[in-house]
Amino acid sequence: MRLPLFVLGLSFFLLFSACSNVDLIATNSKTIQEHLSSYKGEKAVLLNVWATTCAPCVEEFPMIVSLGNEIKDLEVVFVSADFDDQLGEVKSYLNEQKVIGVSFIKNENDQSFINGIHPEWSGSLPFTILYGKISGKILIFWEGKESESKFREAIQRAINE
Amino acid sequence: MKIILSIMTGITFLIGGELEIGSAMPLMDHQLADISGNTMTLADVKGDAGTLVVFSCNTCPWVIRWEDRYVSLANTYAPKGIGMIAVNSNAARFGSEDSLEEMVEHAKNNGYNFPYAQDPESKLASAFGATKTPHIYLFNADDELVYLGAIDDNAKNAKKVEVPFLANAIDALLAGNPINPQATKALGCSIKFN
Repeated sequence: MRLPLFVLGLSFFLLFSACSNVDLIATNSKTIQEHLSSYKGEKAVLLNVWATTCAPCVEEFPMIVSLGNEIKDLEVVFVSADFDDQLGEVKSYLNEQKVIGVSFIKNENDQSFINGIHPEWSGSLPFTILYGKISGKILIFWEGKESESKFREAIQRAINE
Repeated sequence: MKIILSIMTGITFLIGGELEIGSAMPLMDHQLADISGNTMTLADVKGDAGTLVVFSCNTCPWVIRWEDRYVSLANTYAPKGIGMIAVNSNAARFGSEDSLEEMVEHAKNNGYNFPYAQDPESKLASAFGATKTPHIYLFNADDELVYLGAIDDNAKNAKKVEVPFLANAIDALLAGNPINPQATKALGCSIKFN
């Protein structure tokens, strides 16, 4: 009786893994910055630092995913600030939200991570940065949840610059 | 001391505004609603050797991971003359998870041994430039800010802390030595202003 249950469980696990379209990478801010810079000249980039346990983060998250799907000149990069014992929750949430491609979860201490993402960030979540398509430079950043109209205005500027 | 930057697009951002090192403790007479049922002010909790103000709340995962250290800090430093208070500035949630009743329960469940009070209209958080929970401010006996930022470098596990920033700062303050670093950063939940 136990073997069939094990096989059933394994099948569900493999099915779940196969359905996952996101590649969740645990890394530091330096690697994330290198990834962001690879889009210079190709796309504007929206970096959003979030956490599964952060209410305002998950409130704005679906809207950001939707903007990323809609706007072809925009690459959305999510960085989870969850604790490293929450990898399962992070991956489940990303799958639930149909995030595809590369996504990150931090694996360095808070202070290095915060300053490595942006020296003027206090560490409050969520945190969003827009990088220009042409310049690759940081154009706009803010702490806290924001409206879709503010996101759209900032994204448009990032696409133009 | 808030810095508002208007970037070329006309989009405006608040990017700073935290108290600077050396600043006087603001709003010392602002009436806070403590879980004891009394009102109190920062002037009431001020210690002879210094004062520790912790912006906190009931539900933030970072608070929950760090708050065992609130209690040990109070145990260690209250007898040495450091006054301490945890301030809940989540005014937008005073009607729900950060109600005074929930705060009483939270303090009881976690063995709080210091005042825990609501900050009406989040005025203290605004005056301090606090953005998140936990967010730490340490003042000396003359009510000047000497340290701000994080408790230590490991929210998840007190036993794996490599640098206890705040305890080091308080020890230096008590010994009359320079505090280094005077400012640190950590992740936290945004304060829910009204």
